[in-house]
Amino acid sequence: MIVEGICVVIAAYCAIRAVFEPKTLKKLPYLNVMNFAVAGAIVLLMPYPITIGAAIAYFIGSTLESNAIASTFARLEEQ
Amino acid sequence: MIDLLAAIPIAAVICLVLFTALDIFWKLPKQGGVSGADVIGKELEKNGGDLNGGWMIGNIISSPDASTGTIFAACSYYVWGIWGALIAIVLVYIGEHICADKGFAGVSGVVCATLIIWLLTSFAGFPPESFIAGCVIAIFLVEGISPKHASRLLGKIWRKVS
Repeated sequence: MIVEGICVVIAAYCAIRAVFEPKTLKKLPYLNVMNFAVAGAIVLLMPYPITIGAAIAYFIGSTLESNAIASTFARLEEQ
Repeated sequence: MIDLLAAIPIAAVICLVLFTALDIFWKLPKQGGVSGADVIGKELEKNGGDLNGGWMIGNIISSPDASTGTIFAACSYYVWGIWGALIAIVLVYIGEHICADKGFAGVSGVVCATLIIWLLTSFAGFPPESFIAGCVIAIFLVEGISPKHASRLLGKIWRKVS
């Protein structure tokens, strides 16, 4: 349970820091750490081969979301 | 067999060194790459960080890089050994192209991390799950405590190497 505990504690800590960070762009590093920890926790709590696909889909999806948010900010700055 | 509590810090250091070295090898701190990474780097610089380190953190956030590869190598090796790692290579390659990343940082991360995890679990007695915790702790050290200070350190390392 130690490994699961580390993942869950880090995910919760980064989620709280992201909530209390006022600037959207500065939330993204904390959210990225949270995604790492959640992806790890998914695999640790459900150790089946199909879970690899689920964890990678979750993580790539969240990376794409972060990219989309940051790109929108970049476009807004250009304007 | 090494005790889990002793294996986790060692795994964290190995993961940290591995993905930082690979990201610097693939020149992630050189430029923003995708537009999202560029704006994150500039935002970190505005707040007292370093531009090159900021770009590297931006690239880690907005495209699957070596750190992504390391965590997926650890996860898939834990679940299904080498076969799991092969699945991870294919999925990370697809993911990299979805995120418009032209490099091979993610795939090289999976390959190198799988090799290291295989060596250490087979011959040094590391439990495979220690690498999952190790990688989460490593990325937490880079981005979760203070991205500003981490970007300064990464920028310094980049300027020394390049």
